[in-house]
Amino acid sequence: MTIQGTRFGDIEYSADDVIAFPDGIIGFPDLHSYLLLNHKPNTPFRWLQSIEQPTLAFLVAFPEVLIPEYAPEIDDSVARELQITAETPKLLLTTVSIPAGRPNDMTTNLLGPVIINGATMVGKQVVLQDDAYTVRHRVFQTTEKVAEPTAA
Amino acid sequence: MLVLTRKLHQSIVIGDQIEVVVLEVRGEQVRLGIKAPKDVTVHRKEIYEQIQEENKSSSNVRPEDIPGT
Repeated sequence: MTIQGTRFGDIEYSADDVIAFPDGIIGFPDLHSYLLLNHKPNTPFRWLQSIEQPTLAFLVAFPEVLIPEYAPEIDDSVARELQITAETPKLLLTTVSIPAGRPNDMTTNLLGPVIINGATMVGKQVVLQDDAYTVRHRVFQTTEKVAEPTAA
Repeated sequence: MLVLTRKLHQSIVIGDQIEVVVLEVRGEQVRLGIKAPKDVTVHRKEIYEQIQEENKSSSNVRPEDIPGT
């Protein structure tokens, strides 16, 4: 099967590649079928490409590469809904925003990660209850300005 | 908008399957309990809107801005 007219040209895929989002992605409730596309090799970035709306693709990343200490607790109800146990292969992704021309200002959404059951290929964007995480977490910490020496 | 006043521990029922109860009132904070079927999502509004914005923003990232090896 082919998606035509994406930002990346035509994309060939098979039924096994399709990830189903029964609840859609937040803000896009009517789109339920996505592919996970590679970006460049050896980077943690991927594109969550809509099959139904070819022009739509979200930049996502594997957050543990960008933010090693990120360890979200998955609610029991979400685990049940996605049929995820400790042994289930799962993908944890977070959306990434980069203001145009400013890669150092990259942020990622740690409060609303995307969880995918790797065996059933069913996913969901969840909203964590933990307020320690933010929607716009800076990936690269700004460097501290060195204090200017005061005049003698 | 329908406006109702509730006291602590009182509930509101929406449709047949959704119930909102006032669990605790502490200063300016109101703790609400929500019973709803699994297929109905319930979120704090401002968080939901922020996530929607972030999703939109991540769909507008220019590939050339992504750091690569």
